[in-house]
Amino acid sequence: MSKKCNLKVKIFLILLFVGIILISPFFNLKKDNTDFLKNGISAEFIEAGFIPTSVIITVCGNGVLDTGEICDDGSNNGDYSYSTEDKFCNTSCDGWASYCGDGTVQSDYGEECDDGNNASGDGCSASCQEEGGGGGGGGGGVFIPPAVSTKVIIKGKAYPLSSITLLQDGKVATTITADSQANFTAEITDLTSGIYTFSIWALDKQGRRSITFSFTTNVAKDMTTTVNGIFLPPTIELSKTSLQRGEIFNILGQSVPESDISISINSPEIIKNVQAETDGTWFYAFDTALLEEGSHAARAKATSPEGLLSTFSQTLAFNIGKEIVGVIKKADTNKDGRINLVDFSILLYNWGVPKNSSADLNSDGQVNLVDFSIMLYWWTG
Amino acid sequence: MENYDSKFKNIILFLIIGFALLPTTTFAAVLYLESDGGEYQPGDVFIVEMKIDNENEYINTVEANLSFSQDILQVVDFSKGSSILALWVGEPEINQESGLISFVGGIPGGYGGKISGDPGVSNLLGKVVFKMKGFTEDNSLQIGRVDFLESSQVLLNDGKGTLAKLTAKGIIFEIAQFEPTQIPKNEWQEQLSKDKIPPEPFVVEVRKNEALFEGRYFLIFSTTDKQTGLDYFEVSESREGEENWKRGESPYLLEDQDLESVIKVKAIDEAGNERVVEITPPKPSVIEEKKISSWWILILIILIISVAFWIFKKFKKGKKKYFYKTPLS
Repeated sequence: MSKKCNLKVKIFLILLFVGIILISPFFNLKKDNTDFLKNGISAEFIEAGFIPTSVIITVCGNGVLDTGEICDDGSNNGDYSYSTEDKFCNTSCDGWASYCGDGTVQSDYGEECDDGNNASGDGCSASCQEEGGGGGGGGGGVFIPPAVSTKVIIKGKAYPLSSITLLQDGKVATTITADSQANFTAEITDLTSGIYTFSIWALDKQGRRSITFSFTTNVAKDMTTTVNGIFLPPTIELSKTSLQRGEIFNILGQSVPESDISISINSPEIIKNVQAETDGTWFYAFDTALLEEGSHAARAKATSPEGLLSTFSQTLAFNIGKEIVGVIKKADTNKDGRINLVDFSILLYNWGVPKNSSADLNSDGQVNLVDFSIMLYWWTG
Repeated sequence: MENYDSKFKNIILFLIIGFALLPTTTFAAVLYLESDGGEYQPGDVFIVEMKIDNENEYINTVEANLSFSQDILQVVDFSKGSSILALWVGEPEINQESGLISFVGGIPGGYGGKISGDPGVSNLLGKVVFKMKGFTEDNSLQIGRVDFLESSQVLLNDGKGTLAKLTAKGIIFEIAQFEPTQIPKNEWQEQLSKDKIPPEPFVVEVRKNEALFEGRYFLIFSTTDKQTGLDYFEVSESREGEENWKRGESPYLLEDQDLESVIKVKAIDEAGNERVVEITPPKPSVIEEKKISSWWILILIILIISVAFWIFKKFKKGKKKYFYKTPLS
């Protein structure tokens, strides 16, 4: 009898499990990478950020040797040269364009040989023509102007193998993946010149999202604008948000491998330091006995092994002994896991006295500038 | 010695009080105006740029309200070209009679200020194109003003919508006190004639959501123009190939709720350059926001339980057959 019962139970459980898996996409029962969009967060401790000084812009093609460039010959970038002495910079400003004497035969430019120098009498002339036995005349190649385009390259650090979303004026431009050391490079081509706001956010290995880092810059025509030194702050998560005094809970997240994580807990401010592992993960077991009862918040910043300093992560609230107050409503008004133009449309439609309370993000009975600002902060594109 | 100690204490006290009374530095955003010149003759058309200095703090929303001398200045146009504001709440409002201009816009992700190495100006909010009106009757020197009103606001990118401390700087123009000796200049026309580039590429989406238009189908679209600025959108819905353009803005309620029309959206910039995006609406079932009717979920659950029960019954029958095949001892 017991065997029969066990079998029935097993079959039922298997089918129930399969059923749950099948319907879970509709209920979003699996871990939701965008939980932060749907949950309220205590507004008390959030602050506006600032651009770290590590971020710099260089423009290849402006004729100015910027930090990180090897050369920059302006509009001559990429041009072929007939001698080593007069060689020009390439279009990325990280090396030289083709020239006679670079050791590579450029037949497109009329070279018959290239022995790596501009000396004659060694079998290959100074102008890269074969010598002896009726060798050909000089040069005569077809000049091929280098392809020029308006381009933006964005480089920085996120989390190892993280998925990174790049926005251009609020819309998704591209998604890339960081390498195992958390380095990333994103490239956008075919732009018109002008002023753009680019935004970056990343998902770590556990699906936690970083803050959105934005910057505004001019993009010059027919030049490559490179933005270097971006360092996304660590992701952060709290193992519990409602605690009793004396309880220990984990503050954890991910950053650049082996970076130094500085965790700031308010208030009053307590700083704890921990080093990230080789995969960038970090955690700290915090004893709430150090704090009084009430509302508190935690955030973290990182110092990379190279000495780059990030700004602060998201600020997460927790309470000791009482409930969190002042929760700001989810900005994802249509609950699709993104905050973008659709949510903005809902906001616009409900501007003033809302017909639908989902657009009233701070629950003050109006949809106005404040709700607009809150939505822009959480924007994902 | 006592005198010395007393003097020393007084000095220290003085220094402490002195430092306490020193004005503390308070970071604030600054709205300000710039133009190429300060003196114009009647008929001149010139551009005033509205800019922001965020004082190293991330901001994401600006409501700018301005006043201008409506008896001296006439607003010709408003340009969003090169603006850092990617999203606008409605169109800028201009009231010539009252001499008022207002607009609201935002930057998704926030604006953090100029980055080291940025080759150009990147803090522009918008441009107002003014025309200097004629002289007054007594031909006296006249001064026109454009100022930000105290009702202007800038909000921080802090997730709370906190107001930034704000200061604002206006601008003054003088009308030249002599008869015009040359053809009035037109800075705006110069920019318009140079602009041959259409607005940026964009996508158009058909959506449906209970929170808008009582759940009817609507379009969303957005773009910018990096030169003279986006002017307006037009939308055409047609079933038989003919275009039927109407001015519209996002979100745009579709007339054809059966989704059988070809939809086109045209973005036009201030110089008249156009970019058209055409879409054929997908089947209605594809557009539904990512939500499955709860009825279908219930049906699915019932189905799974039914299958489980059926399998169990089959198994039980099979077991019974096996049982009775075994001879009773």
